[in-house]
Amino acid sequence: MNLNYSEEQVMLKEQIQKFCETEYDFYKREDVVKSDNDFDSKVWSLFAEQGWLSMPFSEESGGFGFGPIELSILFEEFGKALVIEPYLSSVVLSGNILDNSSFADKNNIIESICSGSMHVSLAYAESTNKYDYTNPLTSLSADSKLNGTKALVLNGANASKFIVSCNSGDDLALVIVDSNADGVSVTSFPTVDGQTCSEVSFENVLVSDTNIIASGSEANDLLLRAINLATLCVSAEAVGCMTSCYLKTVEYTKSREQFDQPISNFQVLQHRMVDMFIESELCKSLLIKAMLEVDTNSEDMFKHVSALKAQIGKSGKFSAQQAVQLHGGMGVSDELMIGHYLKKMLTIDALFGNSDFHVKSFSV
Amino acid sequence: MDINFTQEDLQFRDEIRDWLANGGYPTHVKHKTDNGIALTKQDMTDFHKAVSAKGWMGYNWPKEHGGTGWSATQLYIFNKEFGLGGCPPLLAFGVSMVAPVIYTFGNDEQKKRFLPDILEFNTWWCQGYSEPGSGSDLASLKTKAVREGDHYIINGSKTWTTLAQNADWIFVLVRTETTKIKQEGISFILVDMKTPGIEVKPIITIDGDHEVNSVFFTDVKVPAENLVGEEGKGWTYAKFLLAHERFGIAAIGTSMRQLKRLKNIVSELDNPEMEKKVAELEISVSALEMTELRLLSALENGGHPGAESSILKIKGTEIQQTLTELFVEAAGEYALMYPGPHGFESNSKPEGPDFVAQSISAFLNMRKVSIYGGSNEIQKNIISKFVLGV
Repeated sequence: MNLNYSEEQVMLKEQIQKFCETEYDFYKREDVVKSDNDFDSKVWSLFAEQGWLSMPFSEESGGFGFGPIELSILFEEFGKALVIEPYLSSVVLSGNILDNSSFADKNNIIESICSGSMHVSLAYAESTNKYDYTNPLTSLSADSKLNGTKALVLNGANASKFIVSCNSGDDLALVIVDSNADGVSVTSFPTVDGQTCSEVSFENVLVSDTNIIASGSEANDLLLRAINLATLCVSAEAVGCMTSCYLKTVEYTKSREQFDQPISNFQVLQHRMVDMFIESELCKSLLIKAMLEVDTNSEDMFKHVSALKAQIGKSGKFSAQQAVQLHGGMGVSDELMIGHYLKKMLTIDALFGNSDFHVKSFSV
Repeated sequence: MDINFTQEDLQFRDEIRDWLANGGYPTHVKHKTDNGIALTKQDMTDFHKAVSAKGWMGYNWPKEHGGTGWSATQLYIFNKEFGLGGCPPLLAFGVSMVAPVIYTFGNDEQKKRFLPDILEFNTWWCQGYSEPGSGSDLASLKTKAVREGDHYIINGSKTWTTLAQNADWIFVLVRTETTKIKQEGISFILVDMKTPGIEVKPIITIDGDHEVNSVFFTDVKVPAENLVGEEGKGWTYAKFLLAHERFGIAAIGTSMRQLKRLKNIVSELDNPEMEKKVAELEISVSALEMTELRLLSALENGGHPGAESSILKIKGTEIQQTLTELFVEAAGEYALMYPGPHGFESNSKPEGPDFVAQSISAFLNMRKVSIYGGSNEIQKNIISKFVLGV
């Protein structure tokens, strides 16, 4: 047994870490969040140049064929730096579906995603609280017309194409639609963590047969796998946030003096930070377990991703809330990174099923 | 034992309910608080003026200074009913912080000058306590006041000053003498916010709102007559004031109202896990309410509950925070969206439950309650020292 990263994986981690630490400045990020832009297009081009946008695509599709372990490495570092660029929607969710599908035109689209010139968003959610994505109300009629409204489409404002889950007859289908097609309307909203998501409505949008990516059990399988992978990615992101939360809190309490001593001298704070550390280590353990299961495509992979996401929902919020508490007033100030980890944690808990949902999925 | 309020107390409660329900509580303000819309300075003023017009502004003052002279039980009922009625919290800085210091330790001139305006809500006050280097350890404060003839010259800075942007006056703790024991040498001074040399800079919090500020003092010249009580006795007054701040800290009425809202929402979700969490929270609220009543009973029957009241701060704020967490959970994946503290624009609201924006805003905003007014860690130190005696 060896639970260490391979040499290549260590190199990848160092490369991403170096970028996040030296070039991804939090204050620049904040300027972008407060501007009309949803993300920094220069950073996105840089991701493309580094090959990060091609990372998870298979070699046949022109990618590096990296798996869930490398993606987890990437997202853990993204979590620490609170990266807002829309990697999850285009590369992970849409990219994974396209890559594993037998869709005829997939290579052209994947190439555009890898080069950074095109965003594709997966429209998987509808106005329900139930996290059941395989029974959409959006429908594709016998005469090829798409009707319905999708909610919470990540990065929808920048997408040139949408992959839309819909029902076609009694089957689930995944279709791809141009965002400027007749009958498509997009309204965008800010997310808690500084990104954007959209509500996308389809009114009698004509979908040619060639734009049906998959249907029936194949569509079901593609959708669930992509969402499972994305769930792993945001959980890895949460682990990164948790690591930063305890490290930054330790650093702060050592430098903050009250009652003529650093507040890290107080045992109650020491134990709280130890709890934050332990929670972060436990999540990291479940992350490693889950990514290995996904990597080997095991039967139990959904279950282990659920275990991870369930734990993240609890431990992640705990860590971020304690980080805020131990930073005192500074913790709730918008100027410091620390409060933004809490916002990130809220977002992650809301995505793809919260803790309760995944506890239930795990036990089924 | 008798858990019931007296007939007089019940009549008093009904009088408050009647006022709240029948036009006392300004309808335009009620509409906003009911719908989670942020209040403007004018809304806050209208609300306070209405309370003042009813004669309730001096809710915790003795009659001789123009207050209501209410018993502890009446004060409890007043606070609970205002919470249940969905009122915004009454601003404490004037009426329940600086005023008791003025009428207890101030001179007649100061009482005449400041108290009537506080009762009529003609002046907004803010609190100059915390400094960048002095939070939990408040007595280490460094803002300095030097006596020069008939004036004090103040230099230094205060932080986390709530609503300083609206304030006409600030009461500040300043160091008038450097002493071996840091609690000595502190004085309590009233400062007109229009005095040259005062600069207010906003601090934006994680909910995106502007509620708190930094206040900088550069050679601010304040008449010596604005000193309250004796020079160097400020720490005594500060502690006295913090004891008054405990009023309503459990926020039981507000929490009960929010709990009712939450129960309505969760009953529609068909979600047994959420139902369990709400039930557990309801038990906590019940335990807190009964704890507050026990302290009240002790007070009304000649007891002197002291540090036990820290339980109210700790559990009250925990409940307030848990409530906001459960609202966010009830929003499910819609909790992803957050338009900022002022909500979605009415012409472009997304699908999904209408309480989303308000819930996230409240969740982020309520992080402060376990930090301010003596952090919950400090409260536990107080209980440990003064109740457990360790």
